[in-house]
Amino acid sequence: MKPEFIQSNAGVWSHERMKCQQQQQSLFNENDHHLQNIVKPDPGMDECWAGLDVGAYGYQLGYGDDHMFVHGNLSSVSVSSRKRKADKGQTLKVVSKKEKKIKRCSNGDSKITRQNSNSNINNSSKNKSKVSEVQKPDYIHVRARRGQATDSHSLAERVRREKISERMKFLQDLVPGCNKITGKAGMLDEIINYVQSLQKQVEFLSMKLAGVNPELDFNIDNAFTREMFESSTSEFPALACSSANSAYFDQLNSLDQVVSYSGLDMGINSAEMGLRRSISAPVSIPESFVDSSCFSQIQPTTMWDADLQNLYKVEFDQGTLIPFQSHQFTGSNEASNNLKMET
Amino acid sequence: MSPPQQPSSTNPNSLKIRLTHRFLHNLNNLNKKRSNLDNTQIHQRYNRVKLAAYASMAHVVGSRRAWSRAILWKIRNRKVSTRHKRVDHKPTNHHHARSIKRRTTNHSNPKREYVDPNGNSGQEVKLRKLVPGVETMDACGLLDETADYIKCLATQVEVMRNLVDLFSTI
Repeated sequence: MKPEFIQSNAGVWSHERMKCQQQQQSLFNENDHHLQNIVKPDPGMDECWAGLDVGAYGYQLGYGDDHMFVHGNLSSVSVSSRKRKADKGQTLKVVSKKEKKIKRCSNGDSKITRQNSNSNINNSSKNKSKVSEVQKPDYIHVRARRGQATDSHSLAERVRREKISERMKFLQDLVPGCNKITGKAGMLDEIINYVQSLQKQVEFLSMKLAGVNPELDFNIDNAFTREMFESSTSEFPALACSSANSAYFDQLNSLDQVVSYSGLDMGINSAEMGLRRSISAPVSIPESFVDSSCFSQIQPTTMWDADLQNLYKVEFDQGTLIPFQSHQFTGSNEASNNLKMET
Repeated sequence: MSPPQQPSSTNPNSLKIRLTHRFLHNLNNLNKKRSNLDNTQIHQRYNRVKLAAYASMAHVVGSRRAWSRAILWKIRNRKVSTRHKRVDHKPTNHHHARSIKRRTTNHSNPKREYVDPNGNSGQEVKLRKLVPGVETMDACGLLDETADYIKCLATQVEVMRNLVDLFSTI
């Protein structure tokens, strides 16, 4: 049966046959005669096969972990789907679907030759080829999902989109307050805002650090660093209530924390020393500042010494107020802590 | 507001601790080099502290990430250029630090491959400007780098906040 087909459609299939043979020699270890015979009687899909061939190679290189096991030159991305179609239908139906396939598969190929004359022959041969192709285990098995396009290009697109959405989900965990946002555009906006606010915070905090007395020795050994971490874990909720004028709040909260440290008796020498120093000078600070609401702006005046006053002036002039939501502070800390566990 | 349950960062290899050490180290070097006690030069010191913050961030991450490589490249370029013009380094330092920080990252990318941004949305372009070193990356890698950058930035901010609070009470 098969040799008949080869002879009758030699002219049409010659190109495809040559191509198949070349590829088979390069890819296949065993010379499968059946394979060659099967490929030839499918001339109606010349362009289709050709177009998908290229795609198949691409898959082999890039997406090994997907459902595409590219073994052969049969770029049968659509083999499985076609098989289903062929099994169902009569010859006419299959023809129509095949033609649709050709249209889709052309992908910019210039020649879209509808070989209607050969269609009847092709169908019966295709049916046979389908059956025999299924028996060969080393073919491409692509799980093209039901109802989705089975183009090589669209499959690649889908893989790329899935990668991007996976990363967007990860970013959603990183950026606080993004649980309700579902669109990619909205997420990108949030991400941009968050990065900008983080960078502004770095600027602001570096300004503060620059204002710190430069004679201070920054050499801190390991033990002290650890204590600093443990003590500062409870600082963040206090910091989280700032929506404006964070410099002011930092001072306020540090004093709060100092007060709380003494209450909890954390046993940190520096904090206790600081407590004694800071409380001795402006005694009325904690009460007055704690009483004031978080969102009112009270100018620190005579209670601070000259250095701090200058610092505040510089900061106010800079105008680096960080309009950040309160929940985002805690969220960011939690997120960074979650990530710390991973690192 | 009850404090959130945070795992104790006693793991010596945690990002936070490494960042802290590196940042303190950088700050120490900074203070040793030039001591600017004058309040008028606070802006200059601010720039250097900011630079130290980004440098420590990039050094801790190393060359693993594109953004850290970009920052290290920027810093190296900056050092080379400031070394060459040592004449009057007060205003030039100021401008350099500012301009290099604000400039787009094309200077940081030594390959200078210009990718056509027509396929990118306006937001992606913005993101590329914010995160250093991602100008020539595809969308997938861009999101990867952004995630890592955000993580490190957040940790750096936390470290700096701790330091500020600590030093303000001493």
